[in-house]
Amino acid sequence: MFQPQPTPYSPFSAYGISPSAASFPGFQPVGPVDSGGPTAFRDPLFHPAPNVNAGRLNYTNHNNPPRPYKMEGMSDMEAQEAMARDFQPALEGPLVGEKKSSHAITEEYAKADPIYVAKTAASISSCFNCTALTDPRRCRRNTPIIGLYLGMAIADGGVGLPHRSFNALLAQLAGPAEAAPIITAGFSYFETLLRQGSKALLDEEVARMTSLDNLLTTVGGFEAWLFEDMVLETTNLLRDMADLVQTNPQGAADLLLQRFNDPEISNAIVYHFRLLASSWLKGSSDEYLGFIPENLGVDGYTKNWLEPVNQEIDHLGMSLLIDVLLKPIGFAVEIVYLDRSEGSQVNAHLIQRQDSNGVPTDLGGPVIHLLYRPSHYDILYKEAAPLRLQAVNEVARNVQVNRATNFSHQHSIQSTPMGEFSPFDLQALLSIPGFSMPPSHHGFPPQYQPPIDQTYAPSPISSISPISPSASSATTPSSSVLPAAFPTQQPPTSSLASPTLTAPHQTFPPTTALPIHSHLPPPPHRPTLNTHHSFSTELSSPSSAGSSFRPSKYEFQSAADWAQEGPVQFQTSTFKNSHYNTAHYNNPNFQPEEWSPEAEEQQMTRKKSS
Amino acid sequence: MNYDMEDTQNSAPGSLPANQASKLAPRRAPDAQSTTKRLQTELMQLMNSPTPGISAFPSADGNILTWAATIEGPEETPYEGLTLKLSFAFPSNYPYAPPTVLFQTPIYHPNVDFSGRICLDILKDKWTAAYNIQTVLLSLQSLLGEPNNASPLNGEAAELWDKDMEEFKKKVTARHQDIDDE
Repeated sequence: MFQPQPTPYSPFSAYGISPSAASFPGFQPVGPVDSGGPTAFRDPLFHPAPNVNAGRLNYTNHNNPPRPYKMEGMSDMEAQEAMARDFQPALEGPLVGEKKSSHAITEEYAKADPIYVAKTAASISSCFNCTALTDPRRCRRNTPIIGLYLGMAIADGGVGLPHRSFNALLAQLAGPAEAAPIITAGFSYFETLLRQGSKALLDEEVARMTSLDNLLTTVGGFEAWLFEDMVLETTNLLRDMADLVQTNPQGAADLLLQRFNDPEISNAIVYHFRLLASSWLKGSSDEYLGFIPENLGVDGYTKNWLEPVNQEIDHLGMSLLIDVLLKPIGFAVEIVYLDRSEGSQVNAHLIQRQDSNGVPTDLGGPVIHLLYRPSHYDILYKEAAPLRLQAVNEVARNVQVNRATNFSHQHSIQSTPMGEFSPFDLQALLSIPGFSMPPSHHGFPPQYQPPIDQTYAPSPISSISPISPSASSATTPSSSVLPAAFPTQQPPTSSLASPTLTAPHQTFPPTTALPIHSHLPPPPHRPTLNTHHSFSTELSSPSSAGSSFRPSKYEFQSAADWAQEGPVQFQTSTFKNSHYNTAHYNNPNFQPEEWSPEAEEQQMTRKKSS
Repeated sequence: MNYDMEDTQNSAPGSLPANQASKLAPRRAPDAQSTTKRLQTELMQLMNSPTPGISAFPSADGNILTWAATIEGPEETPYEGLTLKLSFAFPSNYPYAPPTVLFQTPIYHPNVDFSGRICLDILKDKWTAAYNIQTVLLSLQSLLGEPNNASPLNGEAAELWDKDMEEFKKKVTARHQDIDDE
């Protein structure tokens, strides 16, 4: 780990590189900083901190024996600068992550700006699972949300950030960017191709990619020998996928993931796509000229934004990629923007091929859904692939640690002793036959009408597989509506202390006719009489005896307030309004509760009467 | 008395001398095959279509990741008639990371410091995988005639370039010394 080396006095500080600056990974001197005078450090106090994770750190200077005219002691300086200059944060974990529950994202955002919170809730309602493609913390431009990660990491000692130590996180915050968005787009391209299950399509793509070499040389102006190796990785992957797609689709998917997590290969593929985007821009500059920022012009933009290896692509880059890569084969892309623009609803844009009249030509074709967070894209999957239980449990444990900021709504009532809960998936409620909500709760943004994706076969079992009986039976005020709507389920309170608590791997019995694409509104969270009943019984139950939880009247009252203030999104208002949710601190109206039993009695009475 | 050891012991905990650190560092990228192939291709390009005024060749030690290169000083610049040697050190993930380029010949230039390090954006954050040895050398050659005085490494040189070209030329000549091949 790259650690700051505290020194009482640093002879280097006068030259612009203090140990702390050099050790701060974002600090990348544009070059050496001595301005010409002879500098001789005979006994440097500061030793360049070694980076034991320096997989990418190249002490290239060591290949060159110091020249005689060099200043003595300069090699230390050089090494130090080389480290600062070449520093790449030790990014552990794969470039392309496993699919994970959208809860994980919701959780992350629960700590954030209220705008994010509302929007996440809104957008998550449209998906079941997300793949986190490259960790967002890898991205360079630190938006407030990323700053909040930092705060979170400090608060919980990094426990909530699996695979990453706090130092690594710091490094990522300021470190050179991975090409997260472009990897996302590239991975989607291959993955969606794969999902079509057609060898012929993949073979066609091999041909198309090869023919695009022509674009690279003639329009892009790149010499063939520069990109041939890169194109080869793209076409190899397509070919290998074509060989496997019909006999062993899972093998093909694994292969794809594996190739994308091999830096040598993904670098090549990603750079191939960069060159394609760049050439495409050069070839149709009129169309895009208005979108090029800062009057850079096409050349300036490609040189500064598209071609540098560590530069994230921006929206224009993404559009170019979509245009050159996805549109020609009829793939549409829907991007859900989760940014800090006004309003509590997400903006979604569907980018698809249109004819000259602006009429989409590929209706019913595959759609790639991307969730945009600043500097980062996730792929959203509408199908509910069975989550790996391990992952679910991991989330559950993190949830335990991060309980205070968790978005999952059982958390207002679940407490630390129960470590086995899987996050309760609201989608379960949606998948219960006959379960419906009053339309007044329909928080789905009207402008957000994702096209129905024909390629996903709704799977009744998998759509609810993340939910274990224990999770669902771990009664929460909101989920206690469940027995009413789904009477075959055993009463929650009775199972609370039952052994199934520790067996989260069970799944619901298969149900039929699940309304996968119906985008049902969230279940009502307004407290009901029933809720309070189960609530009190649970409080008196043995399993909650050790609980540190105490009910908050605000959980119920302000849930109603939220409904009045605006459209209630698909959100777990119970948790949202829990005092555990630190997002409250962003709310000017928030005030900590003061519990008094008498007041609560009155509260309940009033609610009953109302 | 082993002063190296003393230094080690005096340094903060957790730090290690660089030679030990390099041992602890995980193996270099396990497979630099594509890098090697790319450099071989570049070598072929340079040999098949040499560009006047620049040349480059892998260093004699057989490591294709280190090269030696030369630039002829462009005409009508203070460097006219001078031959400047450079060293290239390629990272194992080249071309997805820039090479480290140093002037081996002492040179007096606003954007080069006294140990030969170069300030040029395409060798830093503006590096693209579409650049290559040839384009780098050509860029450096044009840098000789058109220094970027806005961000000098050698402030005096930048100032002289703008104010007193005669003095600048004198300094260039004084600083220059041909170095032998290794």
